[in-house]
Formats: sequence, structure tokens, C-alpha cells
Amino acid sequence: MTRFIIVRILQAIVALIGIAVIVFFLVRVSGDPMALIASPNMSEEQYQKIKESLGLDKSWGEQFWIYIKDMARGDLGESLIREKPVTTMIGESMPNTLKLTVPSFVLSMILSFFLGVMAAIYRDSFWDQGVKFLAVLGQALPVFWVAIMAVLIFSVYLEWLPVAGMSTPAHYILPVGTMILFMLPGMMRLVRSSMLDVLDSEYIKMARIKGLPERSVIWKHALRNALITPLTIIGMLLPSLVLGAVISEQIFNWPGMGTMILQATFERDFPVVQSITMLTAILVLGINLLVDILYAYIDPQIRYQRA
Amino acid sequence: MFGIGKKKAYTGLSRGTRIVRSLTLIIPSIVMVIMIIIALFANLGWIGLPDVGLAPHDPNSTNPRDKLLPPSFIEGGKSDYFLGTDRLGRDIFSRVLYGARVSLSVSLIVILITAVIGTILGILSGYKGGRTDAFIMRVTDVALSFPALLLAMLLWVAIGPGYWTVVLALSILGWAGYARMIRGESLRIRESDFVAQAQVVGASTWRIMFRHIFPNIVNSLIVIMTLQVGMMILAEAALSFLGLGITAPTPSWGSIVADGRSQLDRAWWISAFPGICIGLVVMAGNFLGDWIRDKLDPRLRQL
Repeated sequence: MTRFIIVRILQAIVALIGIAVIVFFLVRVSGDPMALIASPNMSEEQYQKIKESLGLDKSWGEQFWIYIKDMARGDLGESLIREKPVTTMIGESMPNTLKLTVPSFVLSMILSFFLGVMAAIYRDSFWDQGVKFLAVLGQALPVFWVAIMAVLIFSVYLEWLPVAGMSTPAHYILPVGTMILFMLPGMMRLVRSSMLDVLDSEYIKMARIKGLPERSVIWKHALRNALITPLTIIGMLLPSLVLGAVISEQIFNWPGMGTMILQATFERDFPVVQSITMLTAILVLGINLLVDILYAYIDPQIRYQRA
Repeated sequence: MFGIGKKKAYTGLSRGTRIVRSLTLIIPSIVMVIMIIIALFANLGWIGLPDVGLAPHDPNSTNPRDKLLPPSFIEGGKSDYFLGTDRLGRDIFSRVLYGARVSLSVSLIVILITAVIGTILGILSGYKGGRTDAFIMRVTDVALSFPALLLAMLLWVAIGPGYWTVVLALSILGWAGYARMIRGESLRIRESDFVAQAQVVGASTWRIMFRHIFPNIVNSLIVIMTLQVGMMILAEAALSFLGLGITAPTPSWGSIVADGRSQLDRAWWISAFPGICIGLVVMAGNFLGDWIRDKLDPRLRQL
């Protein structure tokens, strides 16, 4: 187990360096970053000054080394437009994003496990059909459009809910609901099919043959095993979480990281976009590492297969 | 108690069920065919014919006098503008027709690129095993959990907006799903006798991969590709909605929805109709995918 964890951590570090190289050179190979910043009415002197302050006058190798060293110290560089360190910008917007993502994530998990398990237990019932219908709809309709239609109905026509802002709990309903729509349908389907698999297994049949009460068969024996598969793919929820946060923040003018990075993209503020991409890469690798270790801990086969 | 875990005995399908089953094939097929026709024939200028087609107006021609007109079937609408107009007086119907082009072509190109890359890597990973497999699967894990949106932003900053930026953003990560599925299939097929026999007679690795393993995974591949149509259309729409897609003035469904946001209190029709189109075509794609899966490769079914 220790060997497995060490190998995994080393692999993650190598992967991180690989991503750093790709991101760094992608921004530079495609053109001179100065071309993105420079305005036509900038004097030659100003141009050189900016170039030096960003370290762009040095060779690529040197620049890469500085970039890695700074990142290791937690320095993510400075925004070109706002003239603030990227870390400050993240510090300002992160709490707002968390206020949105944490409740959405928790609610999505609770809802998807509850709905998925119930649909599996009462297979082919009215309840199950309802869950399936919701999943089909939820996976076909574009969430941003559903959110806008919700604004149209609940804010514009009925005037029940506010359109934008974040001052009262009512302000959270639509943005959190939007984010839930990104995660719920897929997760719900997965929980359902995983639970169905387990209910069909030999050990559940055995538990029934032993004459255990149905309640304990389902909630004690089946549920525990049915949760493993969905938990191991939690890492794959990150793309929906990020997309959900950016779209939700954009629609409801939420001053979080999504709004911040989208703005930085349009302003071609490359240090900001580059740093957030790297931070996400670290997050992705970290989650994968954790899930792998967790999985190996639960299921010893994995340890030998994949070490 | 509540019939938990009991399975209904298979007694053959009733007439009603059979009709519903065939409808889940016929309706999605019709929707898909209509969308493809719309995308191809919104106008004919692009294949060198005179500039006429299904779209009644130029999607970008502005008419200040016909601003924010409601759809023709609602009071106050003009018969000229079936789905109404936006704040510049552009015809929503024509814009939606042209928008089909972007959605369908982007998803088609991305699916072709990612299927080729994913299949090669998946077979290689499954057949070779060992270090090759470990390496490819590590990269696949990362690609599966990295947000395509951030990559799209990075590419937007690095190489600027455009059609190919969107294609690239979706392709760089999109192959991973194929690779993982195809690897699983190849692992299974690797154990077959015919692969062992091919090895005995000295067939090269590439020959075994493509003459012996590939034909046996084609069905799974087709299933995944069909199921990807909807996902790619949604992904492209989300990028266009955020302003990271094909640049204005080229209409795309996602960007028309975004256009309508500021007019929501006066002109709901701008945002509403393109969204319905996305939903319809994605649903059609998903139903077709499910149908093809049940026919070709029921093992991939998620119960």
C-alpha cells in the first residue's frame, strides 16, 4: 500500500510538470504575449518597460524556471489589467464561489443518492419512470437555457425571485438550482444503475435467503456497496462543477471566480487564466490521487493491478 | 413487500410497447434528418449555388424598423418574421436555421477527431498492457476530469477566438471517454484465440490491432460516437453562450440565447427558440444512441 501511494504521488508530480510545460508554452508558442497587451499608441519605452516587468525579455527557458519557482512559493504572478496579484483576486472571489458551489454540491449529492436509490428499489414504478424522465430531460436541455427560462418565469413574470445579487437567501435559489442541474442527472443515473447492479448480486440474494428483513437488506447491505462506484467517479464531476459555477455566476451576475476568470479571458489577461488553469490541474490531480488511494483501500485488487 | 428486486417475467412485448419502441426510433430520426437538412440548406451560397435557401432572410441583415417584433403567431408579429426579431431587427428564424450549421458541424468534426485518437490509444492501451497501458490510462484519468471550459479559455487567450479554437478545445480532452471504453473492450478481445493465433503466425502489433481487434470494437465505437453527438452539441452551445465560441456575427444557438438575455423582459422569443432547438436535437441524438446501443451492443447499457 505504501509503495502504491508513493508511486502515485510521484506520477502526479510528473503529470503536473507535464501540464505546466504544456500550459506555459501554449501561451507563448502561439504568439508573443506582448502582442496581446501592447496597444498601438504605446511608446517604445513603455513597451520595453512592461516587457521587462513581466520577465518577457528573458529566454523561454529562464522564464519557465522563474514561473515554476514562483508557483512553488505560491506566487501566481500579477494580472495585466487589474495590476493586482492573482492570489489577491482569487482570495476576493473564492468565498463567493464557495457560497454557491458548496450548497449546490451537497444538495446534488443528497438528491441524486436519494432519487437514484429510490428509483432502483422501486424499479419500473411511477417513481422510477419519473426519475428516468428527469434524467433524459436534464441531459438534453442546455442548463443555461433552463436557467434563463427560470429567470423569465420566476423573476420577470411572477416576480417571486430576484434576478441578480446575493444579499438574501432568496437570491441563492436560482443560482444554486442552476448548478444542481449540471450535476444531478448524470449522478442520479449512475447511483440508480449501481444500486440495480448490487440488488442483482449473489450476496444480496444470500441475505434475502437468510431471511433478513428487507429494510436491512437494502439499507445495510446493498446501499453500502452501491455507493462505491459513484464515489470513485466524483473526480469526474469537477468539469460539471466548473462549468456550472461559471455559467451560474455569469447568468446571475455573481461576483465569484467564474465571473473573474471569464472577464480575464476576454481581456486576454493571460497570467490570470494561466494560473487558474494550473491551480485546476493541481486540484484535478489531487482529487484523482485521493480517489485512487481511496479505491485501492476499499478494493485490494486495484492495488496489485495498477501499481 | 413492494416487489423489491423482483423481475417481471419476459412475456414478449405488448402491441403498445412495440409502438412506443418504434416511435423512439422514428421521431428522433426525423428530428435529426430535419436538422441536417436545415444545416445544409439554410442557404446554398456555400456550395456555389445562388444565394437562396430555407432561410427567408440574411441572418445578419438588420432592420431598425422591425426591432423586437414578436413571433408571427402572436399578436403584433409580422408574417415575415416567423419567430420574431431581435434588438437589431434580425430575423430569429433565419438565425436559428443558420445556427444549426455551427452546432452540427462542430460536433461532427470533434466526434471524428476524438474517435480516431481515442480508438488508437484505447486499442494500444488494452492490447499492449503494461507500462503503455498505465501511462495512457493516467493521462486519460486527467483528461476525463479536466474541465474543457478552462481549456477553452486558455486557448481563447493563447490563439484567439474562432471556429478551430472551439474544435481544438473540445478535441484535446474529448478522446478520453473513447480511450477508456475501447481499452476495456480490447482487453477482453486480446484474450481471444484468434488474437493468439495471429501472434503465433507472426502478425505485427499494428496488424493485430487493426485487422483483428478493431473490427470487433466497431460496434461499441459507433454507439459511443452517437451518444457523443448530444454531449458535443451541448458543450459547443455552452461555450457559445459564454462568448467563448464562434465569434459574432456568425449565429450559433448558444450565442443567440445569450443575445436574448438582456431583452428577456421585452422579448422572450430571442432566447427561447434556439434553446428548444438545442434540447430537441440533443434529445434526438441521445435517443438514437440508446437505440443503436440496444441493437449493436446491449452490454454497454447502464440498466
